[in-house]
Amino acid sequence: MANQPRINSLMIRRFRGIEVLDWSPSAGINVLLGGGDSGKSTVLHAIALLFSPTNAVQVLETDYFNRSTGEGFSIEAVVDIPPEVGIADFSSLWPWEWDGSAAVLPDPEAEKEPNHPVFRFRVRGTEDLELVWEVVQPNAEIAALSTGLRRRIGVVRLANDDRNDRDLRLVTGSALDRLLSKGNLKSRLNKQVAETDLSAALLEEEMKALEDLGTTFERAGLPHDLELGLTSSQGLSIGALIGLLADRAGVKLPLASWGAGTRRMSALEVAGVTEAASRLTVIDEIERGLEPYRLRQLLAKLVKDEGQCFVTTHSPVAIKAATKAALWFIDAKGAIGALPAVAIAQQQARDPETFLAKLPVIAEGVTEVGFLRFLLRNAFVAAPEDHGIRLCDGGGNESMLGLLVALRDAGLMLGAFCDNEGKSTGRWKSVADALGSRCFQWRTGCLEANVIAHVDDASLLSLACDSEGASGERLRTLADRLGLQAKDEASILAACGASEQRFSKLRALIVAAATGDKEGAPDVDTAKDWAKHSRRWFKSEEGGRELGQKMVELGVWPKLEPELLTFVNALRAALGQPALAPGRLKL
Amino acid sequence: MSDKAVAELLRSDLPLVTVEAAAGCGKTHQGAQFATDAASHLGVGRVLILTHTHAARSVFAQRTQTVSGSVAIRTIDSFLTEIASIYHRAIDLPADVGAWARANNQYDEVASRCRHLLEGSSLVAEAAAQRYPVILCDEHQDASADQHRAVMAVHKAGARLRVFGDPMQVIFGNNDTGVRATLGRWEDLKCSGASEKLLTPHRWSGSSELGAWILAARQALKDGGTVDLTGRLPKGLSVYFAENSAQIPHRSFSMTSAHRRPIDELRRRGGQLLVLTESNDRVGHLNAFFDRSMRIWEGHRRENLARLIACIRQSAGDVDAIVDGFLAFVAATAKGFTPSAHGNRLRTEVKERCSKVTRGVMPAHLQAVARLLIAEPDHCGVARALAYLVDVVERGETGFGEVELDLKSEIRDAIRLGQFPSVDAGFAEITRRRTFSHPQPPRRCLSTIHKSKGLECDNALILLCDRAAFSNTLYKRRLFYVGMSRAKKELALVLSRDDPSPLLKF
Repeated sequence: MANQPRINSLMIRRFRGIEVLDWSPSAGINVLLGGGDSGKSTVLHAIALLFSPTNAVQVLETDYFNRSTGEGFSIEAVVDIPPEVGIADFSSLWPWEWDGSAAVLPDPEAEKEPNHPVFRFRVRGTEDLELVWEVVQPNAEIAALSTGLRRRIGVVRLANDDRNDRDLRLVTGSALDRLLSKGNLKSRLNKQVAETDLSAALLEEEMKALEDLGTTFERAGLPHDLELGLTSSQGLSIGALIGLLADRAGVKLPLASWGAGTRRMSALEVAGVTEAASRLTVIDEIERGLEPYRLRQLLAKLVKDEGQCFVTTHSPVAIKAATKAALWFIDAKGAIGALPAVAIAQQQARDPETFLAKLPVIAEGVTEVGFLRFLLRNAFVAAPEDHGIRLCDGGGNESMLGLLVALRDAGLMLGAFCDNEGKSTGRWKSVADALGSRCFQWRTGCLEANVIAHVDDASLLSLACDSEGASGERLRTLADRLGLQAKDEASILAACGASEQRFSKLRALIVAAATGDKEGAPDVDTAKDWAKHSRRWFKSEEGGRELGQKMVELGVWPKLEPELLTFVNALRAALGQPALAPGRLKL
Repeated sequence: MSDKAVAELLRSDLPLVTVEAAAGCGKTHQGAQFATDAASHLGVGRVLILTHTHAARSVFAQRTQTVSGSVAIRTIDSFLTEIASIYHRAIDLPADVGAWARANNQYDEVASRCRHLLEGSSLVAEAAAQRYPVILCDEHQDASADQHRAVMAVHKAGARLRVFGDPMQVIFGNNDTGVRATLGRWEDLKCSGASEKLLTPHRWSGSSELGAWILAARQALKDGGTVDLTGRLPKGLSVYFAENSAQIPHRSFSMTSAHRRPIDELRRRGGQLLVLTESNDRVGHLNAFFDRSMRIWEGHRRENLARLIACIRQSAGDVDAIVDGFLAFVAATAKGFTPSAHGNRLRTEVKERCSKVTRGVMPAHLQAVARLLIAEPDHCGVARALAYLVDVVERGETGFGEVELDLKSEIRDAIRLGQFPSVDAGFAEITRRRTFSHPQPPRRCLSTIHKSKGLECDNALILLCDRAAFSNTLYKRRLFYVGMSRAKKELALVLSRDDPSPLLKF
């Protein structure tokens, strides 16, 4: 059995911006991704509210979906409660059985090892703007989910507001409170503070004013002999005024006045020393206040703790470092989808921003990234990246297909730009169906082949001139493939055979070199060399850009415009921009 | 064998400890002390004390007051009912299992299904064991097979189990097959863990001679021997001889005046007195024999009321069926209200819907009763009719002079039903009140040995110890032991010479 609390499933109904959300989070770190206002923070807030250590939580009309309070809201979780929490002290609460996807009744007839016990916790916002914490019992009756039990589970919550330091104060149910308070600490503190002689701080004049007041009181028949001292008042507890101090250059300063990162790290450390059995961690914007190295430290610590935690982030550093975490994506409708590690791990390492963009466009490789950068540079009002478009290197045909499927399943809005290798046609089709025109796939072959196919015979060799005008390296690859010592254009053309087939041979030769084709290499070592030819042509971001440039310079664009403009317009549509008419895309 | 050894064994880490506790040997004291200790050492959960009666529950509650937050004291029925309620959908029971069990007297069915659940789902058994890591069973010999297995399932899931019981007080089941099965379970239980005996007669601290003798007699009965009444009898024990001189002995009870004299003398002495006999029938006969001078102890069960309620529930609205239930109830709880004198006439009035003018006092009253039933052929009408009848009996109206109300508690409860909107609500509330009010027997009363189980009294008289009452069976040996161990100061046995009990040697 788990020795830490764990949420097996979470059901949110009509809470803030989320109308319906059903989610089975994973056991360790859950990183929630999604665009602005998608509800990531709402999910975290819902979890924190469910386990809130106090009942004194204010509910606002805006906590209800569409501000409609009539139907109320509810947040329900099916949770594992480790025995260390001592739920057995709450003897009226009985467990359900977890069948792997839901809480079910135990079945005495089942001839199998029973699954582990779970409880159904729920908090409801009523139409009267009140909160009710409940346990749903196996007989469907409702029992109270007491603050006592909630405090034993203890959510550590680092919210994204600047003043948040409750876990560093002795506020009821805070991490510090749970760590330190044994018995009646707060009443002992009250007593200690009450015994402090405050009159010593008074100036003579102030003292006299106090004495005069005493005399006035006496004359009025009121209690007198006045002094200053601690008077507790409603709503303000001594615990809120007492928190951790730490030494800074010889002065004791409240930890609460340190920077956001330090405060947040400290709060986690305080929580970390309390019993593991009572720990669920909720961190909104984990990168807040932390330099990349401290952010990586923090993630490593969360992994080491093994507890379940819920994290939101907008930081590629965090995503890249979260290798042992489960990534989830919440779309604008509040639907939540898994990003399976096996499909996305490479992309997570290669380009973590893929997952943070508004519209990631997954391209076949670096060439395509460069080509699209060129193609799209004037396609929108501002630069594409300013619109939240991210051109991502998908790492090759096979790898990007897996990634596309995963991203599509998780509910991301995305684009794709890829070759057609004639493989996995079924899966490609399913992606194309889901993405529509935002998925661009050549009818056949790759980017280089499709551009070069339309270059005039006479201009073919000008492809060999790189952006700086040098052509030696590229001609060398052609000469190698023809078995020539010399690499001048005339020798290459001559080696391409009789005039009627010369240019088709040359065209094929250039495509082969530009794509690093090994076909026809005499031996293994030569094949290895040939494979590297592509780098001397367009296989780089710069090369892709150059290819785009050449497409325009060599008059190829009008041939490709019908296909490519459709793709560009699909991306524009995704951002809510109207389609461009033919000829209007400035290249 | 010493109390100290028992106390130590109870506090050991052993998962299972069985204590054979003879009546009056400090079982409740030991149990409550142990529960108090265990509760104060418990980290999580509570000590669970399972009793069979609400009376025992309240005694344990008083004696564990100091740790009341960490001890749960429940009758085993209510414990199993709670679990069954939580998981009622898994074991195909209605939502309010408690009400269902009460209304239909289905506690056995609840125990059976709950046992099935606890044995079939270790998840539920473990949850129970975590809530109650220490369980103390009181009077475990009274547990049914299902109750026993349910407790064992929780024990196997991790609860430390402490079982008190007395194989010599196995009297539920009323026959040797039942007794033998219970004894078998007890032996298995003893063999599965450590076991000790509580055999110091604390109940008789004032008359230790009687206490020691009762323990010796218990041993003899247990070993299959006879109770020796020859020779010098201990202080506090007296023996009389008498015969039932009634013409049809199983229909009534009488004695010659010579036989009767010493018994009447005993009865007239002051102080507490419990007159014990073996069967319900004989309680009725003795009630007449003593001229109804003693109240009958009706115990905690309301069998006749339950039957009346079953009839009302089934036939409400059908006055002809209701009148039958009404008459059956009156016949069982009162004497002298006969079919020939009253019953047939009442039935006729109902059938004719009181259409004829009556003559005479008694027919007028019977017609009034019939009118009440016709007006409201349900629990309200029955309650009003009974109240009317009690009134005319108590006023000694003509035609009702011979009527005696015997089972007053059942009659009183049936009249109370009329205050409730429905028969089920009324029964539930009456049962609940009885559960929490712990009715105590009158200072002097007449009871079956069954209903006296768990009671104690300064003086007890067992009447009549003949073969019919105490034959040589496992069951009757135990019944006799339970009866005689009720007396704290003086025990009187009335023996039959003509038809002697084989359990007694004199």
